[in-house]
Amino acid sequence: MVPDAAFPVEIVSGVPVVTTPEQVDITNADGLRAALLESAGLGHGRLVVDMGRTEFCDTAGLHALVAAHKRALAEGGELRLVVAGAAVQRIFAITGLDRVIPSFTSVQEALKQTPAS
Amino acid sequence: MVGGIKVTAIDPVPIEARLRDIQSITDAALSRLDELGLLAELLDRIREIMRVDTAAVLLLDASSGQLIATAAVGLEEEVRQGVRIPVGRGFAGRIAAERRPVILDHVDHTTVLNPILWAKGINSMMGVPMMTRGKVIGVLHVGSLTHRRFTSYDTELLQLAADRAATAVQSMIDQADRVSSTALQLSLVPAALPEVAGMEMAARYVPGRGVLGGDWYDVFTLPSGELCVVMGDVAGSGLAAAVIMGRMRSALRAYALETSDPGEVLDRLDRKMRHFEPDALATVLYAVIDTAREQMRICLAGHFAPVIAAPGLPAEPVRAATGLMIGIGDASRRPVTTVRIPPGALVCLYTDGLIERPGELIDDGLARLCRLVTVQPTEAACAAVMTALIGSEPARDDVALLMIRRRTEDDDGA
Repeated sequence: MVPDAAFPVEIVSGVPVVTTPEQVDITNADGLRAALLESAGLGHGRLVVDMGRTEFCDTAGLHALVAAHKRALAEGGELRLVVAGAAVQRIFAITGLDRVIPSFTSVQEALKQTPAS
Repeated sequence: MVGGIKVTAIDPVPIEARLRDIQSITDAALSRLDELGLLAELLDRIREIMRVDTAAVLLLDASSGQLIATAAVGLEEEVRQGVRIPVGRGFAGRIAAERRPVILDHVDHTTVLNPILWAKGINSMMGVPMMTRGKVIGVLHVGSLTHRRFTSYDTELLQLAADRAATAVQSMIDQADRVSSTALQLSLVPAALPEVAGMEMAARYVPGRGVLGGDWYDVFTLPSGELCVVMGDVAGSGLAAAVIMGRMRSALRAYALETSDPGEVLDRLDRKMRHFEPDALATVLYAVIDTAREQMRICLAGHFAPVIAAPGLPAEPVRAATGLMIGIGDASRRPVTTVRIPPGALVCLYTDGLIERPGELIDDGLARLCRLVTVQPTEAACAAVMTALIGSEPARDDVALLMIRRRTEDDDGA
């Protein structure tokens, strides 16, 4: 399958890191879903989504993240988010996602070995 | 395109014949047929130019993960008997799973699941995946009753036909999806709001650009006389989202009859959804307004709090703690907030499409909505908000809006 250029995947210290663009919405959420599915197979349980550049994320984007989170849990792994934009933080707070998926302020933080709790 | 296939023979097909074959498959006249007609005509042409005895299309049913025989020539019984092949198993199942052409020099129960194929006496087979938007939507295969060594040219030609068929089938699926999801959505959003003593209501629902999303609202009374209002947004779009929305709407109504605690209703809805629709995700607002219409108990599952405007006061979002979205899973109970509704006050419920704009903070969108919500009859209030926030541009996302106003003693026709 052709990788989606909008959602580049990089392996950092053995952990796949998917970077999301400025907007994640109904027009590109399928691309995010595919990138998350593909990159989950590249690592060993942990998966990081770097949303540091993302300024907008709608329900379709949240859906893709929740699906990846559930899949990671079911396989004994973990999804971690890097969130910087105030708009994204706000939507995660309103939907309660921030209480379910661990989020960090930088990729370095998210890559630290201690399991988030 | 022919990855994984060993080609030993040098292609004997002259260039003129190739062009004629390709022309036959990409012929513009084909596009004037409807999709099922196109599949039948395409299979006929394939059988003729490839000099094979059978040709068939199986389409993937995503919900069951099975390939279903949809069109066939020389193998009509496959379609008539509704043959189903699981992805990953047998000849067609392997093509769909591996997303590449497969050639069989030997057809029997060890290589092919479908007994019709070997009972028919098919000797050699070749099949290719039908793909659109990077996804497998079906399989196209051909068969020969005599022994046949399929060449790389045969594979390329069949793949060309499969690409053609895939485009046609996808447009047929898209069209059916649009028609049925529109019908379903229209049947789910109440055509007329109930007449309720002491309250006045108006609503708007506008589908987003392109396919429908999963926004819905619902208003109903309980036997106790309490008034229930629901505003929800199912993630996803088209028929799949509309079906989930319909199930959530019915389940929520059923739980509302069983318990008067909004938190308990959403808790049960969440458990039901996580068990029966584990991939669904939705935000829901559920509120119960008492019989005196003086206060509402509100519970939020990841949904925006309503905006309330009381006479003489600027509108503001209801200060209600939000609970988790439906479909994520977490044991903690969602908080329920009791909100007083002063006489004449207007409550505005909505979905994210109304206030979210890319490149803007949600709070800015919310502040803009608050400036627009003023105490006035609900129809006028809906019109004012839709005019200012949606205007004449098609909305990028679904928009649902519900205005509820507590009547005052001075109201006409109360």
